[in-house]
Amino acid sequence: MLNVSPRRREYETLPSLNNPAIPARAPLPQGETDDTKRIVERFGDAVIAAGLHNDQQMVYIRPDQLVDLANFLKTEEKLAYEALVDVSSVDCSKLPAGETIDARFHTVYQLRSYTRKRHLTVVCPADGGSQPVVPSLAPVFEGAVWPEREVYDLMGVGFSGHPDLRRILMPENWPNHPLRKDMPLGGEPVPFTLTWEDPEFETLGKQVLPAESVAPVLPPGMNRERMIVNMGPHHPSTHGVLRLVVELDGEDVIHVDPDLGYLHSGFEKTGENKRYKDFVYYTDRMDYLSAMNNNLGYVLAVEKLLGVEIPERAQVIRVIMSELQRIASHLFWLSTHVLDISGTGMSLLMYATRERERILDLFEMVAGARLTISYIRIGGVWKDLPPAFLSHLQDLVDLLPGKFDEYETMLTAGPLWQERLEGIGRLSREEAINMGLTGPMLRGSGVDWDLRRDMPYSGYENYDFDVPVSTDGDCYGRYIIRMEEMRQSVRILKQAMANLPDGLYRTDNRKVSLPPRAELDVSMEALIHHFKLMTEGLQVPPGMAYHGIEASKGELGFYVYSDGSAVPYRLHVRGPSFNNLYAISKMCRGHMLSDIVANIGSIDIVLGEVDR
Amino acid sequence: MGLEDKLPEGIVTTKLEDLVNWSRANSTWPLLFGLACCAIEMIATGTARYDISRYGSELFRASPRQADLMIVSGRVSNKMAPVIKRLYDQMLEPKWVIAMGICASAGGPFNNYAIIQGVDKIIPVDVYVPGCPPRPEALLYAMDKLREKQGRETFAMRRRDDIAAAMVAPQDIAPEGGSPIGALSGLRKHAPRIPEA
Repeated sequence: MLNVSPRRREYETLPSLNNPAIPARAPLPQGETDDTKRIVERFGDAVIAAGLHNDQQMVYIRPDQLVDLANFLKTEEKLAYEALVDVSSVDCSKLPAGETIDARFHTVYQLRSYTRKRHLTVVCPADGGSQPVVPSLAPVFEGAVWPEREVYDLMGVGFSGHPDLRRILMPENWPNHPLRKDMPLGGEPVPFTLTWEDPEFETLGKQVLPAESVAPVLPPGMNRERMIVNMGPHHPSTHGVLRLVVELDGEDVIHVDPDLGYLHSGFEKTGENKRYKDFVYYTDRMDYLSAMNNNLGYVLAVEKLLGVEIPERAQVIRVIMSELQRIASHLFWLSTHVLDISGTGMSLLMYATRERERILDLFEMVAGARLTISYIRIGGVWKDLPPAFLSHLQDLVDLLPGKFDEYETMLTAGPLWQERLEGIGRLSREEAINMGLTGPMLRGSGVDWDLRRDMPYSGYENYDFDVPVSTDGDCYGRYIIRMEEMRQSVRILKQAMANLPDGLYRTDNRKVSLPPRAELDVSMEALIHHFKLMTEGLQVPPGMAYHGIEASKGELGFYVYSDGSAVPYRLHVRGPSFNNLYAISKMCRGHMLSDIVANIGSIDIVLGEVDR
Repeated sequence: MGLEDKLPEGIVTTKLEDLVNWSRANSTWPLLFGLACCAIEMIATGTARYDISRYGSELFRASPRQADLMIVSGRVSNKMAPVIKRLYDQMLEPKWVIAMGICASAGGPFNNYAIIQGVDKIIPVDVYVPGCPPRPEALLYAMDKLREKQGRETFAMRRRDDIAAAMVAPQDIAPEGGSPIGALSGLRKHAPRIPEA
């Protein structure tokens, strides 16, 4: 059996020093809004609490009414929460007992109304103690299928009525549910202490595979009488270590079942053992093609809990970085997509990465790193922009539109390109919303939604830009959208450069950001703040917050549950690639085997984020 | 002097081993295989600015049967480990492994239940590249180091019994020139465990 280290490393969790109020539960929501009033009216006693928490609408509902509530939220015209954005869960076993709620596990749902531009968090305390069961929302929102499987896999919450409840990230015969609080972090207790003499290595690399003489288990719903093709995890066109089990009739795809988790790195568990500021560096490594966006999403969620004001200049710098990263990510998507589809499109890979290198040079200039940048920090950014940055950015901004035209002349009207993309992977508007797709996948199916415009953050309301939407719902439409997004990003960059204010590049709230070095020599108070921040870390008030941003691949959300200490009690990441990849099965059905590659490229996945 | 004086122009004499090593070191084809962030830098190494084809290694082969070099570019999860091991076993001798980045070398920041603390726990590694992720220049430097190592190999080293002998007493191997890579030259201490008979 698998050897997961039984030793729990207490030194990794740093409870706040001698504070009896820690850990604390997140307070229940207070007050009311129109929406929560409607819900309370309809469900009465089944609603445990409803109102606002951290300026977020929140409803605590008893599990027996959960499905009814979801149906009500979705169908009631005055509410119209059409999409389930995220499902996560909290294991409350290390928290003090609640006054009104006693369940060990909570499941947390994030719902979104695209027409009304509202967000609602639903919390459901699960029945059943250590073997919790919650009714599944998959019959109401198709987008719940994978997130619920993830919650089941990592937290061990069962979902009754789920169509396909099995592990999704961890290997099939993994012995436990790693995110539960009674599970150790694992790994080497002291780095570099394991040696080849350790008995663990006798089985390492073989432990999770069944014996070779056992026939592999087919995913449910597949028919062994047809041809079953295994694609990945080592495959040139799966954009990483994705494995697809494909059922074929001739060359037509009958069924596709993705097998995830080959790059599962335990980000969430690691985050729950690191202090808030230390997790910024991990976010880089999730969607490694858009590290800046990941930084931004995470720090915004933590800042929401902290309630800290970010200076103007830092906001604009964040926007600049976020848009540069979007262009870089889309350029990489373009180059790999073209390479996958044409096979001979090597030249576009070279061209697009040439421009991407220019962007990476800018990142190197501000932070010293190309890929894993960690430039955006809690409270602002790491350092101010270097003096030469703006002139280099200006050069780039002047250069890029011409280059985009160049790529488009190679592709947009090309008959081969159109032949391979048009009509492939078609998704209707209703399907896209119901599956919880976001970003270009959602806009490609005709939903006019962009978090930057519709739920602005970091001062995006001050910029003038268009949101490209395609009603085709196919791979070609999504290609057009991403090309146009890059142009719009350049437009935002120009405005940001023109309006870059002077001032602080990070907040001067000394409870959040370190005092400058020079201040330490003259101010006792600064010294104390420095010491407190370095030894204890940020003190985040108890509560929970979900914040979503429009990353290059879709909505990147971070759900943080704070117990008042310097370490997040629960940290959940809603990766856009994960939710978008769910659509692959529907997109591929009925098309040819070779179109799977077009669809994977069109979804624009990064496995680091799918598997986390 | 000697034989070379008598030969017409354009003919050189050399050891067969040197000739073979020369050809191997100048056309080491990597396996087309990316894991995580480092894979992106590996791709960047292949593009115009860094241009790995200067080393004759631009031909990333999708099939392990045609590849000489496995660049383990990223963190190795418990679920991926058997796959990597099988891919390595499917590669034909001679084969080399570069552990790119700190995750592949030693687990990196991911000291947790999901990640194996270094790919050398499951397959032998020739060159370790530090960095998170290493810059393309660092990968090119690792290729340089690998070429050095390839240049020192002898046919005898490839023989099974020699490998087995090296495994018995790794501490007895004298370092060549004091370099840590020299110390391991060609001798695979952690080579796949060879079954009896």
